[in-house]
Amino acid sequence: MEDLSIILQILFWGLYAGCIYILLATGLNLIFGVMKVVNFAHGEFLMVGAYITFTVFLFTGFNPYVILLLSMLALVGIGAIVERLCFRPILGTGKLNEIFLSIGLIYIFQNGAAMIWGDAWQSVKSPYDGISVPVGPLSVPLDYIIIMVVTALILCGLYLFLKKTTIGMQMQATSQNRKGAMLVGINVERIDIISFGLGCALAAAAGTLWVVSGQVFNPYMGAIPAVKAFAIIILGGLGSIPGAIIGGLLMGLAENGAAFLLGGIWKDAVSFIVLIVVLVIRPTGLFGGKEG
Amino acid sequence: MKYSVFIIAALLIAAACIAGCTQQQASTQSPAASQDTIKVGVIASLTGPASNVGTNMWQSAQVAGEKINAAGGVTLKDGTTKQVKLIVGDDESTQAGGQKAATKLITDDKVDILVGGYSSAVTSAYEQTIAEYKVPYIVTGASSPIITHRTDIDTSYVFHHCPTTDTYGEYTTQFIDEVVRAAVNKKLGAPSDRPFRLAVLYQDTAFGKGVQTAVDNTIKTKNLNIVLVSQQSFKMGESDFRTQLTAIKAAKPDAVYIGAFPNEGAPAIVQARRDIGLNTIFLNVENNDNAQFYKDVGQYGEGAVIESRFSPYTAPAGAVAAAQDEFKQAYFKKFGTYPDMMGASTYEGVFIAAEAIKQAGTTDKATVRQTLTTMKMPQVIEAMKDSTISFSSGFRESSFDLWMEQLYPDAAAGETRPKIVWPDNLKTTEFVLPSWYEAGSSA
Repeated sequence: MEDLSIILQILFWGLYAGCIYILLATGLNLIFGVMKVVNFAHGEFLMVGAYITFTVFLFTGFNPYVILLLSMLALVGIGAIVERLCFRPILGTGKLNEIFLSIGLIYIFQNGAAMIWGDAWQSVKSPYDGISVPVGPLSVPLDYIIIMVVTALILCGLYLFLKKTTIGMQMQATSQNRKGAMLVGINVERIDIISFGLGCALAAAAGTLWVVSGQVFNPYMGAIPAVKAFAIIILGGLGSIPGAIIGGLLMGLAENGAAFLLGGIWKDAVSFIVLIVVLVIRPTGLFGGKEG
Repeated sequence: MKYSVFIIAALLIAAACIAGCTQQQASTQSPAASQDTIKVGVIASLTGPASNVGTNMWQSAQVAGEKINAAGGVTLKDGTTKQVKLIVGDDESTQAGGQKAATKLITDDKVDILVGGYSSAVTSAYEQTIAEYKVPYIVTGASSPIITHRTDIDTSYVFHHCPTTDTYGEYTTQFIDEVVRAAVNKKLGAPSDRPFRLAVLYQDTAFGKGVQTAVDNTIKTKNLNIVLVSQQSFKMGESDFRTQLTAIKAAKPDAVYIGAFPNEGAPAIVQARRDIGLNTIFLNVENNDNAQFYKDVGQYGEGAVIESRFSPYTAPAGAVAAAQDEFKQAYFKKFGTYPDMMGASTYEGVFIAAEAIKQAGTTDKATVRQTLTTMKMPQVIEAMKDSTISFSSGFRESSFDLWMEQLYPDAAAGETRPKIVWPDNLKTTEFVLPSWYEAGSSA
């Protein structure tokens, strides 16, 4: 019984980590699906989202879960500016340009954040700190339940947005066939900017939930999550939102399972081992189409 | 399109400029006077995961440089007096960054002597460069013994001015055996021969492994009645320790020794107490005695123990108290915060560098190295064995007087604050188990 409780606890931490990964990878996939751009600076949007939540929390003391909405809105704006000024001019000029541009953005955002907020580690205290709730045989902090619920709500909202709104359907159409979308009168540049903003907002949500869960952060926090987000979208299938969700969950569970069974140093490595195994078996990823 | 290209170019240039802004090239004197100066290179992590401690080290070095220069600088044997000029190299908390910083300081800036180094993994990565150019280097932060014990390269120019993981790992294990064990047995009403259940959570680097090995070796060599019930590792810079802590809790420890940096140690304790319900005593390595650590660990730090030799918030009574206070005040006046332990040893490192050149009477690197091997100077701000700073003949290590401090809630600060609980000659209060403490087993 005790062993079962430990396994359930590890699965729970895997689910929590998976939630952060899902939000980050879904945003990245949304951008890639529509624009087909490679943005290595996606982790920096997570970092900026975390700092916006931190700053507003510091000055107002508002509930960080409420500030999450503000942070997402701010990142919609920042994302739109980055898309308009940086990615749109180089769209279609080659992957190398996109890669170097996004690497440049990493430095801009990291150093900019270090100048504004300093590079000391920061933390945010949740208003629900110290409150635990029973979940089956486990007693888990309320924050993690809220994080999972918030993630589910955001994903449901995204699903409804993509399936039920005109813009959402235009985004799907652009993702499926950019030229076709243009031919039927969809303003793909407008769709690009919305997709990029939305993708950044999801990264901001991931950043906020990261800091609320008691993890420390600094301007360089986005690098590793961004690499993992790329691994997740390749694992799940490029451009596939369900793939990003399943991939994110798999990654969270695999990492925590490996940390428990093999030791903490395997935590990052196992993500990429899973990725390699999946790609060998199914080169287009779990949910990828024939063309990947 | 052209307009957008210009904007991108402007953004990239801005990035380069901003990046440059973080590469502080401050010095205590103008470059024009460089011929009349002693150039001391300070290698610190100004950016990256260890930037909090690295910034503290660099700022402490600046306080030392200013104090030396205000007192007239360094007078050599020929009667000439030289001011100290500090030049910082940012190791970026990475091995590649450390290599770059060391090479630049030695070949471009042509420093006379080096001070600093925090992460053992980073510092050991550029020791080959130190060996190649034969520049005396006083390491003030990297605590793995491999820094001067390794035999694959020549480390004869490297001097270790901070306790090694061997030293403080042994010291902390002895404290556990003598003090924590007695308190736990008393609480449980257990016999004195009850094996103490210790878990270790360590960073998977030379530093963290050094702590883990030191604990293991101390238990074996001193035949201590301590059982290592769980040993969990994590990668440097990790921020999520929940799975490892779950495994540790399952092993039912009486205490957990954490071999981690402050940015890892604080969240590990918070996650253990808040998320896992691991209500035990956490023992921490000395580099955690840092203002940011107290802020990050918050109320969950209550009852935790830190092995220390310099604290931003306490000092042992005696000779060094006034000197430590003077340093803290000078640092606070200049930077608005308090220095940490790595800052303190780096502050001393600059004094040691200046004294070595003074006693050598020259900046010739071989002569300075030779001087360092035999030099004795009075302790500066940290309590040293025999109140003297000197380096051992074998591995060129200085010897510190250490202490253990326990964290208590401080309502005025809204955080915890340390009180020295061991050894007997330094302690200001007794070690106590908090009311919420849960031992690993009932007997």
